[in-house]
Amino acid sequence: MKLLFDNPVLHALVMGVALSSAVLGVTSYFIWWERKFAGRMQGRVGPKHVGFKGLLQPIADAFKLLIKEDIIPRDADRAMFDLAPLLAVIVGLLSLAVIPLASGLVISDLDVGVLFFLAVGAMSVLPTWMAGWASNNKFALLGGMRAVAQSVAYGVPMVLAVVVPVLLARSMNLTDIVAAQSGGRWFIWWPLGPGLVAGILFLLASLAEGNRIPFDIPEAESELVSGVSTEYTGMKFGMFYLAEYLHSLVGSAVFVTLFLGGFDGPGPDVMALQATWFVLKTALVSTALLWVRWTLLRVRSDQLMSLCWKWLLPAGLIVVMAAAVWTRFSPGTAP
Amino acid sequence: MSVFTSTFQALGITLRNLTRKPNTVMHPFVKRERSARYRQTFALLHEANGDEACIGCKKCEKICPSEVITVVASKHESAITGKKRGWAEDFNLDLTACIVCELCVQVCPVDAIVMCSVPTKPSFAREDLLLTMSLLYANESIPRAPYTGTSLVESHAPDRGVEKTPAEKSPAETPPA
Amino acid sequence: MALSTVTQNLVSLVRANPHLDIESYEPDADLMVLNMGPQHPSTHGVLRVKLYLDGEVVVKAVPYLGYLHRGVEKLLEKLTYVMSTPIVDKNDYVSAMTNELALVMAFEKLEGCEVPRRARYLRTICAELQRVASHLLWLGTFALDMGGALGGGTSVFMYCFRERELILDVFEELTGARFHYNFHQVGGVRHDPAPGWDKSVHQVAAKIAARIPEYERMLAENPIFRVRTRGVGRIDPVLAQELGLSGPNLRACGIDWDLRKQRPYAAYDEIEVRTVTAREGDAYARFMVRLAEMKESLRIATELVSGLPEGPIMGRKPIETPNAVKPPAGEAYSAIESPRGELGTYVVSDGTPKPYRCKIRPPSYHALSALPYLLPGTTIPDVVVILGSLDPIMGEADR
Repeated sequence: MKLLFDNPVLHALVMGVALSSAVLGVTSYFIWWERKFAGRMQGRVGPKHVGFKGLLQPIADAFKLLIKEDIIPRDADRAMFDLAPLLAVIVGLLSLAVIPLASGLVISDLDVGVLFFLAVGAMSVLPTWMAGWASNNKFALLGGMRAVAQSVAYGVPMVLAVVVPVLLARSMNLTDIVAAQSGGRWFIWWPLGPGLVAGILFLLASLAEGNRIPFDIPEAESELVSGVSTEYTGMKFGMFYLAEYLHSLVGSAVFVTLFLGGFDGPGPDVMALQATWFVLKTALVSTALLWVRWTLLRVRSDQLMSLCWKWLLPAGLIVVMAAAVWTRFSPGTAP
Repeated sequence: MSVFTSTFQALGITLRNLTRKPNTVMHPFVKRERSARYRQTFALLHEANGDEACIGCKKCEKICPSEVITVVASKHESAITGKKRGWAEDFNLDLTACIVCELCVQVCPVDAIVMCSVPTKPSFAREDLLLTMSLLYANESIPRAPYTGTSLVESHAPDRGVEKTPAEKSPAETPPA
Repeated sequence: MALSTVTQNLVSLVRANPHLDIESYEPDADLMVLNMGPQHPSTHGVLRVKLYLDGEVVVKAVPYLGYLHRGVEKLLEKLTYVMSTPIVDKNDYVSAMTNELALVMAFEKLEGCEVPRRARYLRTICAELQRVASHLLWLGTFALDMGGALGGGTSVFMYCFRERELILDVFEELTGARFHYNFHQVGGVRHDPAPGWDKSVHQVAAKIAARIPEYERMLAENPIFRVRTRGVGRIDPVLAQELGLSGPNLRACGIDWDLRKQRPYAAYDEIEVRTVTAREGDAYARFMVRLAEMKESLRIATELVSGLPEGPIMGRKPIETPNAVKPPAGEAYSAIESPRGELGTYVVSDGTPKPYRCKIRPPSYHALSALPYLLPGTTIPDVVVILGSLDPIMGEADR
């Protein structure tokens, strides 16, 4: 991995701050893109008046949220209540540490990158549950409980789905996984079967972990007002909002890394070009997830759980076994 | 498998709508076309000879279900015709409470009050929506909805449109609308 | 869902007797009381449902009405017959034409005046178009309840409203107003359509009929929609009849009762109404019945508008004063098939121009009375689906 400075700590610090800021900025504009895209799908235009084509809308929204009154319920658990939105954003950003943007360009080239990503993903239930409990609100509590059940359950198919690229690349290091997909042999279509099914499983699990439709029961607005973030106002609500989109973006980035070849693409191995391919693929996957979100309805929580345990888990096990068999017996690979 | 096909069908429909022209009308930069009969605000009219048409009979005040009309009536001679007749000294219509039912227009015997087919402009001052007599007479020049009291009541005639013999038809009779 | 035995017992007890006082019956049931509403994104107006929950399972539900009570019946005693049509517009604010029709027909029964054929045709066409508009709004909000304000539900909602706008434009061409028309009057209707109106009706009906298959593909065959609505909120036909359910709620239980067929009024005796019934009585059945009704209403409206007869639009002297309608003393009840069911008006006259008593029988009130029977044993998401599928409008339930 290329170090920006000789000191790896300094490298991680500078690059981490730069990447986090960039990603937070991109997330705000991802919100703009979603509103335009969703608007067009529904026969209306999205934001239009604030700035050219509404491009200043995210800034206006952020400003509005900053100047709002911060209302705190009387018997709310203050420490958890204040910490939850912060934690949501932090946990969302943590996965960025191991994602390679171009060959050699990664904040921290962990040999257990995949494990790190899974651990961070498992942690992401914590801020949701904290918000649900600390709000002292029955609706938020219901949302929080549902979120815990959902996240814990969908962690299992996610782990299984992620094991497939690990097996196929024989490494948990995300840079190695991308290198194993070089030359267009992305895991999503080669070998055909395990990669595709694992990719779909990963997408579904990532939607469920991120509480996105069709799995957004914890923040089911029509039933639970706003779910866990009911009692939050102003920038705290803004941080939950941001964290949701962040989670979606980062999930798409990890999907691209594991299944769609990361920064692999036609053309010379120039860092800028590779980063462009990576960004393009992430944008495409995010847009596809948006498309799914604005089309499908919400699944009920018990149906969600039965989907996970009865369908995704067996599918995950089968696909892991298939990948293992391929890895052992495929020609040209040493055991 | 049907799970996947039906999901993709639904996704296809939203994709199809992505390509359709959006239905948004950029109000207020673009004026949305209203039909000719659109009725929103009110106007008081003058007669052909310049007199105010309203005779202060207060039928509109009595029929209004929301009681938004207040008329102060009087009787004196007209400066133009010289004849003594009723007048409305003051006429107030509270547009904030009006339910736009058009009953006041229907009962006016002299077609003094009519509705206009221009949407009310939103305003920051409540006074703009409390239509005083001067505001109502000022609305005389804005586009009007087609019905007046007499034309509306004429269209309700129970024998309208019934075939008459040539002897019964008068030269001024117009065919039903 | 796995329930404790205590909860299971309670649920079966409450199902048998929805008004069981749980708190005194089983004080250590440890149930959470959750107030859904009156401020809630999906209680279809201001409805409060007090839910006794064990986790997410509803053990008992108590609906509280009256949050939108505006004293309409009292107001109708104060206003004359002529002035009351714009008031009842606002009862079932989503389908104004049918409200006015129900009221005006009762007054005509009192007075004994006959409505000319053209007026009856116009009333029927407007009632059917209003039915389509009302069902479109229902469909949009039903999908919104299930898909959320940030998701697929909004897409369906926007499409339904796009279609509904076309119908409202047709009404604007006819009456000059979009939501509350004051179109009916005692003896006939007030506005005569201009020459191009029937063409507009045909065009709009064709456009909407072309879009209904899209809703079917997006919802009826959608696995998520099916899994959320099938088997949810099943109403037993005997219970439905006992509670006084009517309209699509009743027809979805398998009972073929439609006032347009069984007690024809306006121009329904001159056209064939093909009603649709379903057998299951769950939310999915109610959805399918309403979807089919939309298609049928479009057909009726286009057929009638093609054959619109010439003639007068009023069957009595034109109304020119507030006291023009003075029916003899007596009483009358008249009911129509509104998009929600049987909408009836019972009026008592004492010979003056003002009614002595005017009672409105709203279908939503009776639909909501089914909630204590339907909700125990379901989960909170199901509560929202069941409430939506019954199609209550609080304006008419509370008056």
